[in-house]
Order: sequence, then structure tokens, then C-alpha cells
Amino acid sequence: MIAGLNTSYLAKLPAGLKFGALLIVSIGLYLIGSWQILSVLLILSVIVLLSARVNLRQLRMPLVTLLLILGIVFVSLGIQTTWDSALVSVLRLLTMCMFAYAVSLTTTFDAMLELFQQVASPLRHVGANPAQISLGLSLAIRFIPELKRVYLEVREAQHARGLANNPLAVAVPLVIRSLRIAEDTAEALEARGYDSAEHSN
Amino acid sequence: MELPEIQLEQVTVSFEDRTVLTDITLTLNERRIGVIGANGAGKSTLSRLLNALVIPTSGTVRVGGLDTSKSAKQIRRDVGFVFQNPANQIIMPLVADDIAFGLKNIGLSKSERKVRVAQTLDELNIGHLADRESHTLSGGEQQMVALAAVIAMQPRTIVFDEPTTMLDLRNRLRFQREIAQLPQRAIVITHDLEILEDFDRVLVVTDGIIAFDGQPADAVDHYRQWSHV
Repeated sequence: MIAGLNTSYLAKLPAGLKFGALLIVSIGLYLIGSWQILSVLLILSVIVLLSARVNLRQLRMPLVTLLLILGIVFVSLGIQTTWDSALVSVLRLLTMCMFAYAVSLTTTFDAMLELFQQVASPLRHVGANPAQISLGLSLAIRFIPELKRVYLEVREAQHARGLANNPLAVAVPLVIRSLRIAEDTAEALEARGYDSAEHSN
Repeated sequence: MELPEIQLEQVTVSFEDRTVLTDITLTLNERRIGVIGANGAGKSTLSRLLNALVIPTSGTVRVGGLDTSKSAKQIRRDVGFVFQNPANQIIMPLVADDIAFGLKNIGLSKSERKVRVAQTLDELNIGHLADRESHTLSGGEQQMVALAAVIAMQPRTIVFDEPTTMLDLRNRLRFQREIAQLPQRAIVITHDLEILEDFDRVLVVTDGIIAFDGQPADAVDHYRQWSHV
């Protein structure tokens, strides 16, 4: 899920501050064992999320999935331990996720990458390159839907040829087309002035 | 806008044991230049020579006096490239970030990037796409975003490698209009012969050589005659 246009007060805060606060809040939540306090904090997290004017339509599917997972966690924990501690755990996770949505949906992808580069800058000392890693991350996020589209196209084509149940018939063209995309993207990076030598310094 | 002269001197390009272009000598000064020819004739390689994506095996390519084999980085700032499949050219997950990508590479500050991105999107009337996720764009929108990413870099020459191949009629006409309005030099590699009508010069590439070089109507006639053989 990538943040769309957001002009709320949260969007104006530096990414480092927001993610730092999220980290502290997440640790703090684990120190609280009262479901009453956690319920209040959950309400607060929902208020923060709503006040950040995030796109609620964008949140619908992730929230449904999250509630389903938490439902399973609640039941299994309740059976294994006590229903009180299951409630505490679920409230904790839900509150943490609400704050995390509020932060991630009000921070642009570019700002997250910049923050990542800053946080990962000590990795330079062990030979890693944060700029290249962050480009790799953005390319992965960018091209996952593209590869999914290619997979569906290949599967459809093989289905039409009666090869729907043959994994190799799907895998081979998928790999070849993925390599082709990688080659084109590398050329585009070069054409758009990306200098891997410069970014490796 | 003063346009840099592009010179190719005795350029030959070979990949392993296959020669793709043979002994090409050309000077390009015009504002609208078309390149046509059959598949595999060497058009795309010719286009890639112009912004140093391909370096000649022998001979030299100069853009504004700079040799592509020595000054690739500078030349790429001045010669933009729009690829046939825009989906592979869009690198960032969000449109605005993608347009800012090249600007970041040339060292523009965050605030400068923001202004330049907004200006470019307005110029092409695609401001509404700024916050869209790249993979949700239609083919026509992707091609406009790819063009915006190039225009934002403010190059004086833009090379288009078969830009309308993947577009429907409506988007093709829109893209054609945008190319016509560009203040930059446009060098368009295409199979779409209609697009060339108002061009200043058209080259016909056949089997790695320039088989014809002249006015659009004559070049298209030459290409049609050759295609019927």
C-alpha cells in the first residue's frame, strides 16, 4: 500500500519523527497489560488515523484481512491461554497496526526511501550501498504488479493452448519475459541518468 | 531553443559477430526527424547511439560537439529517450516520484524537483496522475508519464523509439499532437507513417544502412516501394 496525496498535519511531519514515534509507541504498547487502557489507546489510534484524512477506501481490504487474522489469533490464544490475555494481545496488535497505517499512509514513498537510506547509511562500512538497496526496493515494489500481469498473460496464453496444468509451460516464458523487463529497465535507468558507479561510492 | 548538432561519422555497430549498422555518416540539424525501416533494419540501434545507450564499434557520434563514447552522462542530460514500452521505463511506484527520479540523478534539490514535476505535469495536462500508482495507469497514460519524465529533464533533443506502437487511435493522436508541440528536437523511430507528414526530414534504414534521406513524402514512397519487393 503506497501513500496517495495527503496534506494532513501528519503528512507535514518528517518521516524520521513519525517512524521513530511509531517505534516507541509499539514498544510502549508491550508494557501495557490492561485491556481497558489498550482500548482507550485503540480509540486514540483510530482518531489519529481518521484525523490524518487517509483514503479509507484504500484501507478497506487490508483492514478486513487484518481483522480476519486477528480473529484467528484471538480464538487460538483464548483457547491456549486465557480470554483476557487474548484480548490484550489482539488490542495491542490492532492499535499498533492503526498507528502504523496512519504513519505509512501519510508518508510518501520517496520520503520512506530517503529515511531508509539515512538509517542504513552505517551499512556502507560493511560494503553495502543503501542507495542501491533503496532503488532495488522501489523497483521491487514497482514491478511486482507488472510481473503479476505478465504471469496472468502467460497463463492465459498457455490455457488457450491447452497447457494450463503444465507449470513449466508457464514458468519458462515468465522467466524469459521477466529477464526482458529487467534488461529494458536497466537500459531505462541508464537513459534517465542513473549512474550505478556514482551511487556505489 | 538552440538545438545541438548531431554528427555521426563512419559509424559501424556490431554485436558479437553481427553487424547492425554499417558506415553511417550523417549530420542532424532539423527539428523534426523521422526514422523508418523494416524490423531488424537497425533503427533502434541508430536511435540508441544518439544518447550513448549504444557506443559505436567504430566511428564517432557527437552531440553538440561531445563524443558519446566519452561524455555519455552529459549527453544523456541533453538527449532524452522515450522507449517503445513505457511500462518498463517507469521506475518508481508513484507517478510524481518517477518524474522526479531523473531530476534527483542530476542533483536537483527536493524543492526544485517538486516545482519541476508540477510544471511538467501541468504542461502535459496530466496533473491528475501525479499521485497515481504507476501500475494502475493505462497504456496512453503510461506513455504520457514516460514523456513527462523525459521533458522534466529539459533536454534539447528527445528520441522516441516507436512511441505509438502500443497506443490506441485516440492516444496515438494525442501523443502525435504532443510531439508536434514540443519545442525540443524530436527524432522519432516509427512504423506509423502518418506521424511523419509534417516532419522536416525522414531517414529510411534498410539492412544497417541509410537507404534514403529526404522529405517525408519521398521517404515514405521509397519505403513503400522497398516493402513491396
